[in-house]
Amino acid sequence: MPNVTEARPAPLHRAGAGRFTRQERLAYTMLVPILGSIFLIVTYPFVLAVIQSLQATNGGAFVGLQNYVTGLENPLLYEALAATAVYAALVLPTEILLGLGLALAVHRGIKSTALRALFFGMAIVPLVIPPIAVGVIARLMYAPSYGAINHILMLTGITHDEINWLGQPITAMPAVASVDVWQWTPFVYLVLFSGFLTVPRDEIEAAQVDGASGWSQFWRIELYYLRPLLILIVFFRLADVLRVFDHVFILTGGGPGNTTQLLSLYLYRVEFKFSDYGQAAALAVVVLIAISVVYSLVTRVLPLERR
Amino acid sequence: MRRRGRRWRAVLITPVLAVIVVLYAFPIYWLIATSLKSRSQLFQATLSLFPEAPTLQPYADVLIDRGMWILLRNSIVVCGATVVLALTVGLLITYPITRLDVSPRVRAGVLNWALSLRFLPPIAVVVPYFAVVRTVGLYDQPLALIFIYSLFNLPFTIWMLKGFLTEIPREIEEAALADGASRWTAFRHILLPLATPGLLAAGVIVFSFSWSEFLFALILTSTPNAQTFPVGVQGLVTQFEIIWNDMAAAGTIAMLLPLVLMVLARRHVVAGLTFGVVREK
Repeated sequence: MPNVTEARPAPLHRAGAGRFTRQERLAYTMLVPILGSIFLIVTYPFVLAVIQSLQATNGGAFVGLQNYVTGLENPLLYEALAATAVYAALVLPTEILLGLGLALAVHRGIKSTALRALFFGMAIVPLVIPPIAVGVIARLMYAPSYGAINHILMLTGITHDEINWLGQPITAMPAVASVDVWQWTPFVYLVLFSGFLTVPRDEIEAAQVDGASGWSQFWRIELYYLRPLLILIVFFRLADVLRVFDHVFILTGGGPGNTTQLLSLYLYRVEFKFSDYGQAAALAVVVLIAISVVYSLVTRVLPLERR
Repeated sequence: MRRRGRRWRAVLITPVLAVIVVLYAFPIYWLIATSLKSRSQLFQATLSLFPEAPTLQPYADVLIDRGMWILLRNSIVVCGATVVLALTVGLLITYPITRLDVSPRVRAGVLNWALSLRFLPPIAVVVPYFAVVRTVGLYDQPLALIFIYSLFNLPFTIWMLKGFLTEIPREIEEAALADGASRWTAFRHILLPLATPGLLAAGVIVFSFSWSEFLFALILTSTPNAQTFPVGVQGLVTQFEIIWNDMAAAGTIAMLLPLVLMVLARRHVVAGLTFGVVREK
């Protein structure tokens, strides 16, 4: 739970009600109880996790840091971290480059407002389909015996045998990653396309008068204006990669072997398949702390208006 | 020189964009086409890209025979209640920080904290939440999902409502207050009607996000008493022998509702996903 403490207006309140204007008093009467209860709702389970992580799964005797040691010594954890890193390395650059390329192509190549509106509407569609339904779609595309991809490959004579996309270690990870790319590239496109529209026209025109090519327009002017949005995209997509669960769960369940067992699927397995609550709690605490650290570093460069 | 470059560009870009349209349209078409196939067509030797004699039977199978209409009802109840709770709490937080004079530090603190919650991966809190929900007796109860969905939708509800509320000039309310209206009257009769479009947009997005949620629903429910529709869809996918048309019908139902809702709120989807950083005009 990163930064939770910042939200507590309580210390301000303590300064003495007399110093507040009527408006401030009303504001804090509304804010303090509601933020206080949310603070408790968020913090209490975290405290509970810390307690759970110091207890044995069976019997609940205090075992010190034993669960942390077991959790961090388990090679499966590092396999999961590696799988998550591979997933992120496949998904993030692909989505950003494709999204950027598309935004650039539509921005430069398509001037008709109707067509642009059409692309806008189409790009929204994958973003709002539940990941579970996207998983169903992917299953219908990749599955052996019914998958459309094998069918098309065999119709066109590219392959003669069915490829077990989700069942082989080499193809499973790219297949799972392709689902993410399918669903989230439109997000990158939408954000960056709206970014292109904010580039001041006179700067572009001045560059064109100077005879700048389309490329140097992009590298020297447009990219400068897109930079904050690119940082934002990386931030949000990174947060999402850490929570990827649904489509992988119903496509491969983490397999074959552990090739697609991302961090979230691994934590799920420790808690609900191995029922090792102590170890699961210890891992949850470690993940939360790691994320808080990353979060506090990343937000410094995030282009959000705070006031 | 430049004009020829532009024509070449169009020649290159059009086929690329056409391919991309196919890459998006075909999988969705395949889902819907499969959901309209009859069971006998599934067992034909050759796979057909078109449903012969399209039928709605798979939908009836899924909703009635498999009883998934109950899960559908659960989903609607949970998501509807989540919208009400998240918007109410969201308003209670955003009203003071946008309409009343609070110190900028408090305001920034609340917004930052809301943002930090967005970075919280559900899987990391699932472990303690599971324990809490079981101790307080909310396991397999819709109420548990309503509370958790509201909490996880709160961050961007706050950011979206903050965006909408700051766009409404404070002078309008202050004029009413000067005329002797109470703060509640000013809120109820002046601010609320003006904020309704924004509240509706935020509500639609909260509904869709909750509709999509799967992990908490999977872990905190076990029977049709509280299971939501995505959990039912998952059951059709991971069973031993997949019945393709039933699975596709369930997937189509899960997809359809957010799609219809998003037609209403399409201008706000990107704003919602980026915490209002990117706004469509």
